[in-house]
Amino acid sequence: MSVIEIENVSFTYHGDKRALDNVSLSIEKGEWVSILGHNGSGKSTLSKLIVGLLKPQSGTIRVDGITLSASTVRDIRKRVGIVFQNPDNQFVGVTVRDDIAFGLENLQIERPEMIERIEHYAKKVDMYPYLNKEPHALSGGQKQRVAIAGILAMKTDVIIFDEATAMLDPEGRERVMEFMRTLNREGTTIIPITHEMKEAVMSDRIVVLKDGKVLKADKSENILKDKETLERSNLELLLPLEIMHYMNENGIDNPSLKEFLWQLSLNG
Amino acid sequence: MAIKFERVGYEYQDIDGKGYLALADITLNINKTGEFITLIGETGSGKSTLAQHMNALLTPTEGRVHIFGVKISREGKKDKNLKLNPIRQKVGLVFQFPEYQLFEETVGNDIAFGPKNFGVSEKEAEERAKKMINIVGLDESYLSRSPFNLSGGEKKRVSIAGILAMEPDILVLDEPTSGLDPLGRNALLKVFYEIHQKLDKTVVIITHDMNTVYEYAKRVLVMREGNLVYDGAPTQLFSRKNVKNWNLDVPDILKVRRAIEEKLGITIEGETRNKADLMAKIGEALR
Ligand SMILES: Nc1ncnc2c1ncn2[C@@H]1O[C@H](COP(=O)(O)OP(=O)(O)OP(=O)(O)O)[C@@H](O)[C@H]1O
Ligand SMILES: Nc1ncnc2c1ncn2[C@@H]1O[C@H](COP(=O)(O)OP(=O)(O)OP(=O)(O)O)[C@@H](O)[C@H]1O
Ligand SMILES: [Mg+2]
Ligand SMILES: [Mg+2]
Repeated sequence: MSVIEIENVSFTYHGDKRALDNVSLSIEKGEWVSILGHNGSGKSTLSKLIVGLLKPQSGTIRVDGITLSASTVRDIRKRVGIVFQNPDNQFVGVTVRDDIAFGLENLQIERPEMIERIEHYAKKVDMYPYLNKEPHALSGGQKQRVAIAGILAMKTDVIIFDEATAMLDPEGRERVMEFMRTLNREGTTIIPITHEMKEAVMSDRIVVLKDGKVLKADKSENILKDKETLERSNLELLLPLEIMHYMNENGIDNPSLKEFLWQLSLNG
Repeated sequence: MAIKFERVGYEYQDIDGKGYLALADITLNINKTGEFITLIGETGSGKSTLAQHMNALLTPTEGRVHIFGVKISREGKKDKNLKLNPIRQKVGLVFQFPEYQLFEETVGNDIAFGPKNFGVSEKEAEERAKKMINIVGLDESYLSRSPFNLSGGEKKRVSIAGILAMEPDILVLDEPTSGLDPLGRNALLKVFYEIHQKLDKTVVIITHDMNTVYEYAKRVLVMREGNLVYDGAPTQLFSRKNVKNWNLDVPDILKVRRAIEEKLGITIEGETRNKADLMAKIGEALR
């Protein structure tokens, strides 16, 4: 069953250039779908449309079968959580604690449960000692961790991560990948927006956007190898696959090495 | 020595009045020319705080920083003769969050602001804006747009263009490639490297991308919990112990090279700092 259905959606900020141009896409419940594409290709715009922060000029969006509109947007935000590209845009509270609490208050979570979740998720992202700090007085990566904790704590059915790991150190990034894996195993629909092929490797499907249109949407294993599609949207092959491509171009035939490189790329 | 840190400490003041020591006893020299440095280290280790000392945006709470001969210290802070403008012009700092840097009505004015502020004529500043917008991979139609109505990566590019337009002697870039698409990232790293090579300027890049470190850096600084724990070449850096202790990662080039060597039972001779080198060596080995 589709959890997100996007039908012929177009969106223009102002002027005549479309940020999204007749996009159709559906995402299954429990699926892991990465959204890739060049800077300005429309990834964040798409994510904001899904949670009703922007309203499409044409087309329809359905979440869990509910058509997105002014009267359903609150309900839909209980089902879809989004970690914003710029964590500063997500912060509303005076302290990190207030900030994580904010999303939970909107879900009308009971107080004891709320406290428990705040502490649990702050620990999970290693920010427990910072609960009383001002979110704006944190380092870039710390802000991203708090933003992630705030959304994880809401336990929504769908989570969109808009470049949520861009400023994390390698260990922190690996940890977030691990959260995604665990959540997805438990049935959460995961939608990372990223420029990192390493992050996209884990997904069931990859959607490549270019100039506001879907350039290609296919199973990850097909997109990962598709140098032409990737390069058309300013992306690049994973290193082992780049080497495989080089071997093919130069007539170097070594099937066992090629198989090895393929496995290597799947392991990140 | 263009920038000299002498036993620098920095303590932030939290809202509840508690102090937080973000830098401890940093001693460090950065040359005016010829350096290509990457500054790395785990989340919250003090990289951005250190960078903001390089152009006197922050004043040390302990010790002093000398920037092109100007002493920056707690005691000297009240000195009315202290001129920071020349320092800001000589050391250009690109912020981690472009939003902190963009404020003009149009992208064009934003990029031209720095040069104009430092005495460049209106016409020349506009010329530079046109040149720089192209260098960061956007076209001139962006010049008339609002810097706030852009995608994340586009904002980042504009913030970089604004500092490049100042033509500073030293460029300090706080995570300049985070949020850029891979083509843009590679292109901009080449731009920074060319500025370093052709104009013999010093460039300092903060990054979490180990591939950038391995491919470009001549010198690497590693921060951990406010301390400078490594200052040296990238080649010695990626030992198992360092990677684990400092939240680093082994660069892809090294990882893949080691895996292939093991798989084929061969040893690849010589250094391979980038993709092209590695592929050429593998090609040689297999032919
Ligand atoms: N607030 C806005 N007002 C006007 N135009 C905008 C606004 N935000 C984005 N745009 C434009 O819409 C297009 C799509 O932007 P969007 O933010 O969706 O891109 P993105 O794929 O998320 O890019 P990035 O990888 O840089 O984050 C771009 O051309 C951008 O310039
Ligand atoms: N304005 C501030 N007030 C109080 N503490 C701060 C402030 N800014 C940063 N800190 C703290 O100082 C420490 C160092 O922060 P800094 O921003 O220098 O880290 P960083 O190495 O740049 O990290 P990142 O990779 O996440 O950007 C962090 O623990 C952070 O919480
Ligand atoms: Mg975006
Ligand atoms: Mg930082």
